[in-house]
Amino acid sequence: MHGATPALDLDLLREVEQFVYREARYQDELQYDAWESLWTDDGVYWVPANGGDTDPTKQVSIMFDNRARIATRIKQLHTGKRHSQTPPSQLRRLVSNVELLPPPEGATFGPAGDVYAGANFLVYESRERGVTLWAGRSEYALRTTDDGLRMAFKKVTLVDSDRPLYTLAFLI
Amino acid sequence: MTSAAATIPWDELIEHDRVHGSLYTDPDVYAAELERIWYRTWVYVGHVSEVPEPNDYVLKSIGPQPVIMSRDKQGEIHLLLNRCTHRANLVCDAPKGNSSAFRCPYHGWTFSNTGKLLGYPFNSGYAGTALKSELGLGRVPRVASYQGFVFGSFAEDGPTLEEHLGAATDAFDRLVRLSPTGEVELTAGWLQHKCKANWKMLLENETDGYHPQFVHSSIFSVAASGIGDLYGEKSTAVCRDLGNGHTENDLRPEFRRLDQPLGWFGTDPAKVPDYVDQLTAVHGERTREILVDGSPHVMVFPNLFIAEIQLFVIQPTAVDETVQHVTAVQYRGAPDMNRRMLQQTIGSVGPAGFLLADDSEMYERNQRGVQARNPEWLQIKRGTHRERQDENGFTVGDATDEVPQRAIWKHYRSLMEA
Amino acid sequence: MADEVGELSSEFASVRVRIDTDGNGPRLRVEDLRTGHVGFLDPLELETLAWLPEGGLHKLLDPSLHRWRAEDQER
Ligand code: FES
Ligand SMILES: [Fe+2]
Repeated sequence: MHGATPALDLDLLREVEQFVYREARYQDELQYDAWESLWTDDGVYWVPANGGDTDPTKQVSIMFDNRARIATRIKQLHTGKRHSQTPPSQLRRLVSNVELLPPPEGATFGPAGDVYAGANFLVYESRERGVTLWAGRSEYALRTTDDGLRMAFKKVTLVDSDRPLYTLAFLI
Repeated sequence: MTSAAATIPWDELIEHDRVHGSLYTDPDVYAAELERIWYRTWVYVGHVSEVPEPNDYVLKSIGPQPVIMSRDKQGEIHLLLNRCTHRANLVCDAPKGNSSAFRCPYHGWTFSNTGKLLGYPFNSGYAGTALKSELGLGRVPRVASYQGFVFGSFAEDGPTLEEHLGAATDAFDRLVRLSPTGEVELTAGWLQHKCKANWKMLLENETDGYHPQFVHSSIFSVAASGIGDLYGEKSTAVCRDLGNGHTENDLRPEFRRLDQPLGWFGTDPAKVPDYVDQLTAVHGERTREILVDGSPHVMVFPNLFIAEIQLFVIQPTAVDETVQHVTAVQYRGAPDMNRRMLQQTIGSVGPAGFLLADDSEMYERNQRGVQARNPEWLQIKRGTHRERQDENGFTVGDATDEVPQRAIWKHYRSLMEA
Repeated sequence: MADEVGELSSEFASVRVRIDTDGNGPRLRVEDLRTGHVGFLDPLELETLAWLPEGGLHKLLDPSLHRWRAEDQER
């Protein structure tokens, strides 16, 4: 844990920032295996629909992947026949407002971490259909491991989560 | 106003085994479809479980038109147009709520949830109260439901809902039969998946048995799934024209051959013992057969797709844009089965789904492809030489044949020429 | 599901009031403790009650309006 004054733990903040920037680069540059290696063995990847505070065990979500399903998602992308990513979306995203956060209260629907962080993002996606902007907020439960930080839980709340959305087949 | 439909030479655009590309791109065709299909025939709107309590309401749509589905204090369901009769503001904004009355935010006109105009602010401005009886909310004149599925028709008269559904009623019966209480609930919320494609690209794909091995090969190759084989050249499954534009991929011959209870759902009774016990209490010895046969895969023209454990609702929003709404089927009183159906739904469908993201990509590629004007036609002749009548007189074809597409277009043409 | 708000009594009536969330939006659930009869009020109806002028409910308090209404009575 990062102590009672997380805002002052600049080393940890810097480490977390570097982690989320690296994750963003892996996503934009389609480095699927490198991205997958950022997950812990019990990782959960959640993209809620209809606002951020639904219960994914009772309500539909855009994604609610346990670790096995994350692996399936990556394998599917690797086949080269995931048509919604063939050709892949051309992507660049900005990640900003990175903050260390206190552990969340109440149900999170994902495993715990020892470092919690949040960040905002804006993804510019270009496909044959045209340009789509995806804005939202990521919240992370991270774990400190011998290999550095790893994601145990990532929740991605899209600003547009309650509206009709185009296909979202790249990694958000 | 002249009818858009009357000016279009449908017989020159729709033949038995091919259809013209302009049917997917021409704004006049789209306008004619709104008039002859969406604003005339029975269209699926919502489910009774979405308004469980008196005075509940949800926002729905019929094509591009916003509709309020409300349940009044007496329990009766109304389909009201979400348009203030004063100067056309939206009366309701929240996707759902509970209220006996709706108050327009623009000038405060207030309507009961049965559509009656209850009053307006500063009423001396209208010199009398005649307005109240004249300016209730617009309504969908005919509302009817089957097994809890609520449909609306803008036509004052015409075939009844059951006449319209015809043989497709069996799909609803088979769906609810899998619930231990005989009821399904649409309580898991909706995903809204948008695509730049004409709505008929989706309609024709829902019962297209020819595409799964191509479009979905990526997921079939990495996740153990028997779905691909159901739609192969050797499959004993059939596709069927149920009449009135309703179509089916009937997978029961394959499921019966494999003879595995819950095999259609990729699981087995040991995994959901409570559910199987509950169902056995209702159906006794027939339970095994019910669990082997599984859930229907039926496209109810024009907009409700019963896809085993999901329900899709097709909503055209422009000639080249469609929103597909999808939710997980939930059996009332079967929590163990419901959890599994929900998680499988989240994995498969919606914008990020292992299956539907790729279908949606195909719709959009189709829409771009059809801009090319040579050839002018789309071919739907697959299996014409081997289509046949089943024991009930319905036309059926092999698993990968285009009987459903021909059925859809035959019905479509009859509506447009009516 | 319903959150208890409380019980209110006078020499004429006893009611229990709860916030009910079984529907698509919250409602006030009012239970007549003497008969068990239950009624619901939604937020717009409650706001309307808050704005009633002095005596605005008097018409509704007429016992023959609904509860003790003769079968052949005119409304
Ligand atoms: S538009 Fe609704 S009150 Fe004026
Ligand atoms: Fe498909």
